[in-house]
Amino acid sequence: MNEDFLLGNGAIALGLLEAGCQVVTSYPGTPSSEILPEVVRLKKADNLKTYVEWSTNEKVALDNAFAAAITGKRTACCMKQVGLNVAADSLMSAAYLGTVGGMVIISCDDPGPHSSQTEQDTRLMARLAKVPVLDPATPQEAREMAGIAFDISETFGIPVILRPAIRVCHARQNMKWSALTDHPAKALFKKDPMRWAATPKFRFRLHQELNRKLKNISRHFDSLQPFNGHNLEPGKHYPLGVISGGVPYAVIQDILSDAGRDDIPLLKLGAPYPLPQNLADEFVAACDKVLVIEETDTVIEYLLRDRSKVLGRLSEDVPLEGELVPERIEHIISQVLSRMRLLPLNIQAARDVEDLVAGLDLPIRRPTLCPGCSHRSAFYTIRKTRPKAIFTSDIGCYTLGLNLGAVDTCLDMGAGITMASGLYHAHAQDEVQQPIVATIGDSTFYHSGTAGLLSAVYNDARFVLVVLDNLTTAMTGMQPTPGLGIRADGSQGKTIPLERVIKGCGIDFLEVLDPYDIKGMRQTLKQAFDYTKKPDGGIAVIIARHPCIIAYREQAVANRIKVTISDDCIACNHCIERFECPALYHDPVREKTGIDQALCIGCGVCLDVCPKGAIIEMNIK
Amino acid sequence: MKKKPINFVISGLGGQGILFMTKILARTALHKGFKVMGAETHGMAQRGGSVVSHLRLGDVKSSLVKAGAADFLLALEENEAYRNLPFLAEQSLLCSNKSSGNFPVPEVEGYLSNASIACHSIKAGSLAFELDAPMSTNLALLGYFSTLDRCPFTLQELRTTIEAMSPAAYKEINLKVFDKGARES
Repeated sequence: MNEDFLLGNGAIALGLLEAGCQVVTSYPGTPSSEILPEVVRLKKADNLKTYVEWSTNEKVALDNAFAAAITGKRTACCMKQVGLNVAADSLMSAAYLGTVGGMVIISCDDPGPHSSQTEQDTRLMARLAKVPVLDPATPQEAREMAGIAFDISETFGIPVILRPAIRVCHARQNMKWSALTDHPAKALFKKDPMRWAATPKFRFRLHQELNRKLKNISRHFDSLQPFNGHNLEPGKHYPLGVISGGVPYAVIQDILSDAGRDDIPLLKLGAPYPLPQNLADEFVAACDKVLVIEETDTVIEYLLRDRSKVLGRLSEDVPLEGELVPERIEHIISQVLSRMRLLPLNIQAARDVEDLVAGLDLPIRRPTLCPGCSHRSAFYTIRKTRPKAIFTSDIGCYTLGLNLGAVDTCLDMGAGITMASGLYHAHAQDEVQQPIVATIGDSTFYHSGTAGLLSAVYNDARFVLVVLDNLTTAMTGMQPTPGLGIRADGSQGKTIPLERVIKGCGIDFLEVLDPYDIKGMRQTLKQAFDYTKKPDGGIAVIIARHPCIIAYREQAVANRIKVTISDDCIACNHCIERFECPALYHDPVREKTGIDQALCIGCGVCLDVCPKGAIIEMNIK
Repeated sequence: MKKKPINFVISGLGGQGILFMTKILARTALHKGFKVMGAETHGMAQRGGSVVSHLRLGDVKSSLVKAGAADFLLALEENEAYRNLPFLAEQSLLCSNKSSGNFPVPEVEGYLSNASIACHSIKAGSLAFELDAPMSTNLALLGYFSTLDRCPFTLQELRTTIEAMSPAAYKEINLKVFDKGARES
């Protein structure tokens, strides 16, 4: 028997493998990133044959998993909620076609948001695509639901979405499990072009079939214990009931149990869509009002039939945005109870501690690039070279180039390039030569850079593109990229260098440099700008390559340079504000910049940053 | 009546080893037979931002500690201690690393004593730095915490977990820092 204090994402990985999942594909993104590495860890421990891959993006991951599922195998693909947007095209169509083997799509939500561009609710995507969705409350439940999802998928021939929220993905719980074994299913693709290559006429029939499946699944969900159910006492009527699912359900259980409020019944909908209509009707009928508390958007609330009884977001009892943390939920329930003239929850008298903390004027801790991060020197140099340029950027650690004033836009994956193209044409139309620098990371470029770059080259946009290549997918936890060629299980795959891909996109100006060399990079940037202005020029691409200092601690800073501040420092704060290294601070005693030696990793890049030359190497006479 | 859970909030900055510290506490609790739920911060916030993790021991459903319900706040940095004060329940305990001689500031001290919150602090950071292990502030603070009467674990229980969880190359120094923190009480 194995035992571990598993991360929710580890629990999901375990649930997948316990159910005999044979293929797992993914593209990393918080809060989903750890699922695939945990699958790899568990598969290696028990020597399973499970096929794993980091796909280049979420659509690729979904397509691959779908293809394997229609051979009769159990498959899964994992992504963050905005990744499902990228895979939406695939999802909508896969719902119509249905599957043969079980297929689970894991899309992790980020209410808050903590590490995402939106707070979107995957359950809405499930509704849009018309596929069932499961919403776990705890890691243990996520593990169980991963297994049940395959059964539902195979029984009804439909992909199933599992949507754990961040508080499940990054919660930890103790788990025990027995040795895992391989599922015996072999790939058997039965040709059926009317289905797998269905034309619009057949799509209409598939849509009818899909709607029939949903009706049946709704009935199945009426009795899907213990994920769907309520604690009504037979024959009893209640003034107020609460309906919830997922993380808020667990929180509400704690709140009501701590308060000893068994007078408030609870309907749990861990499988909220398609809504188990009979179960929901039964609960609503036993209550005068029902309060729906769901995260992050409005799904269950809209689907309840007796509108006259429903309280929630539409009645403005539940906030429209933000994470439903315990104290917020407690407040919501208590307010509704008070308004209905029922006994409110016994919330401790509001203390003045929030005001006290606000009054302390605590430093705002914005996320920052690490000391020694090569993105910092790249951004510093880009901004220094063309301060009036528009800086379009992308999604990754380097979004933090914001702090250096070298990121003006961040829309979605790949938009560093496409926004640059759009901004160019908007200005060129007015005959304005607007300098534009696009930045994008290596992994993001492989994810969705090429289509935008092809289009920009084809349509003769002019801008400088800097690909920030730190040889890893840093923000999400150091996953490998096609540029490295290392695969998800650690084996060596084929390496596809950025240079080859970029040239293949029709780029004629391509330079590779190390952004630690500020002077060299300035020179190259100037040449690049010149090239964009030439009539026969085009888009100029620079690969700024330097290993991530977290992933490659030793190689990243080969020669450590101890730096110090000379008396020439006039405390102009140029280095602190423009270079923004966490190791640089204002020393009020010396009235100069100081170097925090505990944070400094000795990259020595700041030696070239001070306009007075006051950042110097230690021990040099 | 079910037994009251024990709620921890652990706060600090990205890179200070909040996750490792949380794991040590969690494993020790598991060894003692507690049911354990934890909640961690990953992703963008890890890049130098404020990091908080929650740990709940006992029969609980959710991994999140409610504001005003924490029994212990362990903070690896002064400002991160202040920032998370709203988590602390009355009669709870704050155990913090400090770098200045001015911790807690008078207005916080007043609040803590009004709410009967015990406040313990040491210079865990400089202590770890002196042992040439600046990344081990977390272990120095844990050592100190282990000696407090209200700590639900004994020094030996935590020490055993650290020994079991530390990679071979760091075992000796980790225990050294932990022991030094414990002697500060």
